[in-house]
Amino acid sequence: MSSNKSAQRIASIVVLLLGLVSTIVALVIDIMGMELSFRGALLILGILLFFTGLYFIPTQKHHKTIINIIFLFPLLFCFAVTVIIPFGLGLFYSTTDWNGIRMTGFVGLSNYTAMFKDPSFLWSLIITVVFVIINMIAVNVIGLALAVLCTSKIRAVGFFRAAYFIPNLIGGIVLGYIWQFIFNNVVLKWTLDAFNYNSSMLSKYNTAFLAIVMVYVWQYAGYIMMIYITGLTTVPSDVIEAAAIDGATAVQTFFKIKLPMIASTITICTFLTLQSAFKQFDVNMSLTNGTGSVQDFMGQYLSNGTQMLALNIYNTAITKNNYAMGQAKAVLFFIILSIVSILQVRISNKREVEM
Amino acid sequence: MRRRLFALMVAGLMALSLVGCGGGDGASGSDGSGSSGNSIRLVNGKIEVDSQLKKLAEMYEKETGVHVEIESMGGGIDIQGELKAYYQSDNMPDIFVCGGEADFNNWVGNLQDMSDQAWVSDTDAAYVSDEGTIGFPYTTEAVGLAYNADILEKAGVDPASITSPAALKSAFETIDSKKDELGLTAVIGYFAEPVNLYWSTGNHLFGTYLDEGLARDDTTYIDMLNDGGKLDDARFAKFADMVELFNEYADQSLLVSGTYDQQILNFASGKYAFVTQGSWIGATMTTDDKDAYEAAGSFKCGMAPYAFDDGIDTILTNSPSWWAVYKDGNVEEAEKFLQWLTTDPAQEVLVMEAGFISPYKSCSYVANDPFAQTISDYTAAGKTSAWHWLNMTDGYAQNYTGQVFADFASGSIDKAKFIEIFKQVTEQAYAQ
Repeated sequence: MSSNKSAQRIASIVVLLLGLVSTIVALVIDIMGMELSFRGALLILGILLFFTGLYFIPTQKHHKTIINIIFLFPLLFCFAVTVIIPFGLGLFYSTTDWNGIRMTGFVGLSNYTAMFKDPSFLWSLIITVVFVIINMIAVNVIGLALAVLCTSKIRAVGFFRAAYFIPNLIGGIVLGYIWQFIFNNVVLKWTLDAFNYNSSMLSKYNTAFLAIVMVYVWQYAGYIMMIYITGLTTVPSDVIEAAAIDGATAVQTFFKIKLPMIASTITICTFLTLQSAFKQFDVNMSLTNGTGSVQDFMGQYLSNGTQMLALNIYNTAITKNNYAMGQAKAVLFFIILSIVSILQVRISNKREVEM
Repeated sequence: MRRRLFALMVAGLMALSLVGCGGGDGASGSDGSGSSGNSIRLVNGKIEVDSQLKKLAEMYEKETGVHVEIESMGGGIDIQGELKAYYQSDNMPDIFVCGGEADFNNWVGNLQDMSDQAWVSDTDAAYVSDEGTIGFPYTTEAVGLAYNADILEKAGVDPASITSPAALKSAFETIDSKKDELGLTAVIGYFAEPVNLYWSTGNHLFGTYLDEGLARDDTTYIDMLNDGGKLDDARFAKFADMVELFNEYADQSLLVSGTYDQQILNFASGKYAFVTQGSWIGATMTTDDKDAYEAAGSFKCGMAPYAFDDGIDTILTNSPSWWAVYKDGNVEEAEKFLQWLTTDPAQEVLVMEAGFISPYKSCSYVANDPFAQTISDYTAAGKTSAWHWLNMTDGYAQNYTGQVFADFASGSIDKAKFIEIFKQVTEQAYAQ
């Protein structure tokens, strides 16, 4: 029995080592840039052998741990390949002068310091924050109002629900171009006839900013409305009936009963809008592509009056051909978004405990 | 025990299938990078000639058995950004488009020197750098003040007289006074929209400041610009006068927000006497806008110099972009294909069907294009200047100057402010 066991042990260790070696060889082949087409197969085979060996190691004590590792591995592997490794590379590249093709040297933290001295980037940061605040309020208020409308007893409620939700199903790029056409042709014709004003809303940064807010609210309010509808339908009808018997008006019922009952929905929606507004990119790009002039900001003329953070990062890297600087800005963007996410988790956890 | 055996079998099967997938990936990967013997891949930056290039690829495959894969990009895609993504994923094409100095500088050390090729002696338009001849020219484009010859004739304006600001102004005034009887909406189709047309103002119109009236190898103003973003005050002031004139006589309802399509359609319909676009609109006028162009009488077209200073009498012609060969790709087949493109059957397709104006001296075809005649006239007379705007810094038009032209057009800044801000943003762009 014991000899059988030790044989199994040796066999499994051999298999494990074989797997490890072939995995490493496959990785080395890839990193060295050798043109050997079997390296992918070798890598997978190596990993499988490794885990087969690991699985058959005769141990009672660690068997459970080993099983856990084996089951976690696919997920961890994917997470590492798609998130952790690129993130590490990104941090690395942000300290170099990488241009997307090659790097010639390290620049330390100068990308980070240069970014905060650049008025156009600071402007992007400021208008992104303004945009987020305006949208958080506007989308939620309008979404909630639409939800109340679509849960009331008016006719054709289903039609309205669908109609308000559909903009969210259209891709942001398409939507941006559709609205660009509307602003540049329809709205422009009105303003030209009415005030003899020859430029469209999109040509001045302040009106263009308003235009982006409008389009964004139009796109996103329907989605938020759907979540609020779900929230409102979970409010127990007996409570509402009791309030009606006590003589509460519709307004009182809404503010004193429905609103407190859907507080958790409000939290979710607030953070949803906050995050997605921060990451606003597609409508911004297709509608104005960041144009709109600011005559004097910190003593400089800016030509990126409506360029929000995500678009600024993209533009820095792609059109200005400065990938390392774009990467540094993306790291800052990541930090901001992770602070928002942590806050969100904290607050919703706290609220759940209270409830 | 049986269950365990079954589990093992399933695991084995999965492993096998994975290995199978892995092997398949490896094989298709090497196909995709085009390094296998008989296939090359070309990334084309002119999506409008995609079908013609595919036809050429078919012809070539029939003739030599080498498969050429045409991958066209365009319509607002940043091709260099896309190519960088290909580079990162080890999926580089064998031939790809490069649009000027900044693009070529991205790939220093990665491009094949083609000096030994036969076509080099047949053209003056190849892109030559310190590394040798690295860009293959495939067409010529011209930037000039395009005009509708029929309207100018009816208005009694001789286009040949437009060689000074005073002549330009009086031509505009004459046509403006007869606008109604000529059926014009505006004298000039000048659009300064900053989102989608920044390249028209920021690159082409500004390119006239850099090159108008100069010899092809005269780099005075581009050198000043690339030396930290300096502008020549006197010349730029005259250029600004011309832009102001354009603003005044442009189609006010479309000046700041019109699209490229509207600009070309209105010109093709005979609603503008002039348009601030180059020779490439000829292809649009005879295909997409064919009906409108025929309805307007298929009028003759020509190009006048952008005469913002006395004695300017050239138009700007150049190869708008080049095809470069990737050093680690299938160099041999790629070079053979490019050489084949300069031969008669290929040139016939490029010129007669794609509407290119051939940069090759041996080519005898003349495109059936409204602007072909005027370009060959200027070329024959030696009255052409180069396109040095191709050497401007990355993103200069898109992120900086396009917006300034738009502000000037909308009237939110006056000429003095326009000059001042233009200098300021130029310094910003070059400080990056």
